[in-house]
Amino acid sequence: MGGVSAPGGPDPRPQVSPGADGGGVVDGRRCRSCDEVSAFAWPACPACGGAVDPASFGPFGTVWSATVVRIPVPGRPPPYRLAYVDLDDGPRVLAHVVTDPTADRVLPAPVGGRVRLLPTTDDGDLLVEVVPA
Amino acid sequence: MSTVSVHGVGTSHFGRQPERDLVALAWDAVREAFADADVTGVDAVWVGTVFGPPGVAQRVLRAMGVTGIPVITVENACASGTTAFLEAHEAVRTGRYGRVLALGIEQMSTAFAGAITPEPTDPEGRSGLALPALYAMAAARYLYDGAVTPAQLAAVSVKNHAHALHNPRAQYAGHHTVEEVLGSRMIADPLTLLQCCPTSDGAAAAVLAPASGGSREVGVRAVALRSGAPWNHRSPHVWGHDVVRDTAAEAFAAAGLDAVSDLDVAEVHDAFTIGEIVTTEALGLVAPGEGGKAAESGVTALGGTRPVNPSGGLLSRGHPLGATGLAQLAEIVWQLRGEAGRRQVDGARLGLVETMGGGVSVLDGNACVVAVLEAP
Ligand SMILES: [Zn+2]
Repeated sequence: MGGVSAPGGPDPRPQVSPGADGGGVVDGRRCRSCDEVSAFAWPACPACGGAVDPASFGPFGTVWSATVVRIPVPGRPPPYRLAYVDLDDGPRVLAHVVTDPTADRVLPAPVGGRVRLLPTTDDGDLLVEVVPA
Repeated sequence: MSTVSVHGVGTSHFGRQPERDLVALAWDAVREAFADADVTGVDAVWVGTVFGPPGVAQRVLRAMGVTGIPVITVENACASGTTAFLEAHEAVRTGRYGRVLALGIEQMSTAFAGAITPEPTDPEGRSGLALPALYAMAAARYLYDGAVTPAQLAAVSVKNHAHALHNPRAQYAGHHTVEEVLGSRMIADPLTLLQCCPTSDGAAAAVLAPASGGSREVGVRAVALRSGAPWNHRSPHVWGHDVVRDTAAEAFAAAGLDAVSDLDVAEVHDAFTIGEIVTTEALGLVAPGEGGKAAESGVTALGGTRPVNPSGGLLSRGHPLGATGLAQLAEIVWQLRGEAGRRQVDGARLGLVETMGGGVSVLDGNACVVAVLEAP
């Protein structure tokens, strides 16, 4: 998945720490006031503006929806698989989905299917793999 | 406080026009709007643009002699033009200025080879979430939930391309079949090329002033704007639904609308086929889960009971981002005056404009604008 042009400045994507068995967990935040969860280390709760505490989410989650991008995006040769993943008891995150190199055609991850968060790609993208039901 | 009317509208042609600059495109729109309103100047200008360079508003306006007055540039993604309209309306309503120009301008063809480059300072943009992929995931979820079929998605494209056959300003038009739409190149599963708006250049403008009872004045019953709240695992709907619903509720209440069914014609944000389906449901023009069926059965076609996007919409008229909202407004003004030619909705008295802008991750849309307009 290499070749993403990396502009200067801090990476805005969620930060992922190593988890058990080679998985990854998102270093996010949970709101003290409204219990909203966020994948980001932002200074306040995006829902209510309340104070937030560090919280980890993942590695397992469920695919809310998924697609395959088949058009060129600068630095990203198509096709590539994207999914919105609802991490268990955690936030919805946008992740790339591991591609089976032996597949004839790249298809979207199954909606409603289970996935596991992995360490980020070398380029810093969130990455999940489809796990058996 | 004044009741506000649209006194004149104008637009450029819409399409890939890399050989023309924004001065030329804006001149087409402003010249027509001024002539339509029978004025030669205004007291202030709000300009909507997304990718226009710094100073672009003053640069295009000075070329047509609009100088020495307040010029304010606004950016709200695809809703930038309608945001300019909202602010112009408020300025006239409160008496801050007497006559105001709202102008939307955008040149996409010289900026992007294909889809808009995802914004690298946004988390999801940095992750490669091109806008077609965002809408594609709404469509994929609708398919998973059984709320739409592939043929119903395609029906929106078929309908709007057919509407545009009667719009000489449209970028594209044609008699397509569902099979052709579904068979066109896949962009982001399940959305094919003919389900995605094109890369467009264009400008559109409106002159607003207090209502004076003129026979060609289109009244602004209400206009509302909201930016999205967080969209996440708790959201009951796909991206963009709830902010459209909530903005519409605010606009409908302010307009004193008895029922959504009182609306005779609507221009809504169909940047992608699924967008029109979700939006017609969120607006209440059709029941939840009925948006796809409404497109397929002709309910939302010209001649149907709820005509949507008679101009061809963003899918066919084109989508020059900052200009789009005012292009939608111009269409509704022509419809309510009975000047829409072969795409006229007979006897249209109440019209709706809805524009949706996106591109900030976590939020249910950067901004949504909904306006209700009334025939002279
Ligand atoms: Zn909170």
